[in-house]
Order: sequence, then structure tokens, then C-alpha cells
Amino acid sequence: MNSLDFSIVLQAWPYLWSGLLFSLSLTAAAFLVGMFLGTLFALVQHFELRVLSQLVRSYVALMRSIPLILVLFWFFFLVPIVLGHLSGNGRPVPVGATYTAFITFGLFEAAYYSEIIRVGLRAVNKGQFEACQALALSTFDTYRHVILPQVFRVASPIILSQTIILFQDTSLVYVLSLTDLLGAASKLAQLHGRLVEMYLAVAVVYLIISCAASQFVASLRKKYAIAGARR
Amino acid sequence: MQQRRTVSPTDPFPMVIVERLVKRFGSFNALSGVSLKVAKGEKIVLCGPSGSGKSTLIRCINHIEKHDSGRIVVDGIELTDRIRDINNIRSEVGMVFQSFNLFPHLSVLENCMLAPMKVRGLAEPEAHERAVALLRKVRIHDQAHKYPTQLSGGQQQRVAIARALCMQPKIMLFDEPTSALDPEMVKEVLETIVELAQDGMTMVCVTHEMGFAREVADRVVFMDLGSIVEEGDPSTFFRAPNTDRAKAFLNRIIH
Repeated sequence: MNSLDFSIVLQAWPYLWSGLLFSLSLTAAAFLVGMFLGTLFALVQHFELRVLSQLVRSYVALMRSIPLILVLFWFFFLVPIVLGHLSGNGRPVPVGATYTAFITFGLFEAAYYSEIIRVGLRAVNKGQFEACQALALSTFDTYRHVILPQVFRVASPIILSQTIILFQDTSLVYVLSLTDLLGAASKLAQLHGRLVEMYLAVAVVYLIISCAASQFVASLRKKYAIAGARR
Repeated sequence: MQQRRTVSPTDPFPMVIVERLVKRFGSFNALSGVSLKVAKGEKIVLCGPSGSGKSTLIRCINHIEKHDSGRIVVDGIELTDRIRDINNIRSEVGMVFQSFNLFPHLSVLENCMLAPMKVRGLAEPEAHERAVALLRKVRIHDQAHKYPTQLSGGQQQRVAIARALCMQPKIMLFDEPTSALDPEMVKEVLETIVELAQDGMTMVCVTHEMGFAREVADRVVFMDLGSIVEEGDPSTFFRAPNTDRAKAFLNRIIH
């Protein structure tokens, strides 16, 4: 067995870097879309809007019961066929692997974020809502300025965990022949026969990014520590 | 002796009119046909055993509880189901809660500025100026940049009073404002409310602080089992209550 030779990692760096950028941008996009839709979904359930909240509940249950990899597959193969039927001529309309990845991840994560935020909304003290009513704040201002900021603060550790899982899950895009950080590493590892070095290097990158994210959220929490401390 | 201000039967413009108010929680009658008028500038102390409906009554006045039947008119605005009426009334009615209910993620100053900016449409400098002035009035302006959880209970309650005053309400409702406080903090909060009373604010205060009631109340209203049992000026009420229920209640809280 050869001794470890990490020079391969340096040589491969540009390719790994492009993979990392893809992972990060997919994570960022899915986080933004997921948080936006997830908050919307959570509010729909919180307000108990009759038909809509039933729809949202079913959607969340469905997404959470199917592995992400299967959702990616379905979206990639089925949506073009559906679009083809809708457009009338019956020929599949390809969505493309990159769009598939971004849309699917966003929609999938929305289900998980909505559960986190839904629980957070339930945890807000009833007195907070009453104080807003007594001050004549509109429902929009109540949620925008009082309720949701508290929910996000209290839920930030869980939101972070979910986002780190999301970041690691981006490696699943290999089923769409897209290349993320892990995908890039495994291709090169097999090409050069340096599996241990590559996988070690990639693990370190994942570790650094996840730790940095935790640190970032911890510093945010420290800054707002007083805020969510107790009610 | 300050002049007592109570509603006269002929007062054409009382601040609050409550008529035959009924509120049920399931099969429990929290309020069974309560009528009450509050004159401009009048200070009413509501007392009675727990579960007597006194908190429910003031919570109905700004529609935090929705009443089942009866009529509520605040400053000439009839409380209906229309959001506009509800919000118009709420913006004229300040409320102070037993558990303060300050917004924990906002500083003291921001707590006081939020509603004036969002509801009254004040620009930030004006809202800031008003908040600072009222925080000074409740003597807590030196804590303006702290967060609620960094303050003592008494300080938090005074911030809550300032926050309500920043909306420049025409009437203040107090829902057991000192019940959640440690004994040594009760005084500072009561003093703040007394000062407010001396400025001529109309107020309805649910409290068991009888010394406070003697000092500021124009009228004491005693409730039991969802009805007003007895009312009168504080010296008469505390010295010689008419009803047995009021006597029993006063005996319980004094001993």
C-alpha cells in the first residue's frame, strides 16, 4: 500500500473548488426558497386556513416521507412529461439537471423548515399576541415585527442543523450527473487511485464549513442572547 | 381631598359604555349581563374573588376577548366585529397586563416605538422622542437600551405602562398590574399608576391593592360570579360594604 500523498489534492483543487461552489450555491438557494416557502406553509397552518392548510399538511407529510433522492429522480423524469402533456404536443419538455436540483431542493427543504417554524409559532407565549392586539398592531405587523423574529431566534439552532444536513445532502445531485464537492472528489479519487487522500481532504472541507456555520449562528445567538432568553 | 369624578346618569358622553355584557367560556358564564359606564377622567378599581369576571370584563373592552352579547361603546365608537372598529378602539385603549408581555427581542426603546410607528404612522425621530419622554415619566429612561429580561419585574411593568402610553390612549386598562411582582416592587409600579391618575387619565384597574384603591379610585366596583354586586366610593365601600359577599371578600383579603 502506498503512503499517503496529498499533492493530488492540491492539483485537483480547481475542480474541487467548482464542486464546492455548486454545493454552496445550491445550499444557499434551497435555504432561501425553503425558508420563504416554509414560513408561508407554517403560517397557513397556524392560521388554520381551511382548504389551504389541509393541502399544506399533505404536502409536508408527502415530502417528509419520501427520500430526497427519489424526489430528485421523479422531478427529473416526470416533470418534463407532465410539462409535455400540458403544452399539448405530448413531447417531454426537459427541465435540465441544474434547474431540477435547485427547484427540488427548495421545495423539499420547505417541508422541513415549515415543521420547524410551525412548532416555533406554537411556542410563542399567548401574551405576546395579546400585547400586539392591545397595541392595535395589524396581523401583518404582529407577525413581521414581533412573532416571527422570536420564532427565528428560538428555532435558529434547529434551523442550522437542518441547513447543515441540507449542505451535506447536496451530494445527492450525483444522480442527476451534476458535480458537487463530494462528486468532484470521488471522480478524481477513482481517476488517480487516491481514494483515502481525496475523501480525507473532502471530509476536512465539510468539517470546516459546518463548524464555521455553527460558530456563525452561535455568535448571532450571543448577540441576541438576551432576546430569546426567557419570557 | 381630590374631587371625585364619577359618571352621572345624565352624562351624554361617557368614555366607556358597557351594557348587558355576556361572555361565556363553554358552559361557564364569565360575565352574565354586566353594565358599567366610565366617565372621562374617572378612575375605577375593579375587585372581586378570582373567577368573578373582572379581568374578562376589561379584556372585552378592547376585544381581546370577544363578547357573546351586549354592547360596548368606547369614546363613541361601537365595538362590532368590523376590524376597523376593533382597531380604532384598540388604538385609543391602553392595556397593561399582569405578566407585562413586553417584546423580549426588542430593546425597551423599541418596545415603546413599534406601535406608534406602525399604527399611528409616526416617523422614527418623533416616535423616539415620545418614547424617551414617557420612559422618563416612568423613571426608566436610563435603561432604554436594555432588553426586557435585563430588568426587574417592577421595571418591566413600568416599561409596559410607558409602551401603552406611547399610543396616547384615552383610557388605560390595568389587569392586575402588580400581582406578578415581588412585594418590594409593587410600590414603584403603584406610584407610577397614581401619578398617571393625577394627570387625569381615565382608568379601569383590576387590583387587590386596597390602599391604592383608597388613594386613587373614584369608584370601587365589586364583582362576583360574573356580575357587579356592589359599587360605591372607596371610603364607604371599604368601611361599610352593603352586601355580605363584599364583606366576606374584604375579610379574606385583609386578613
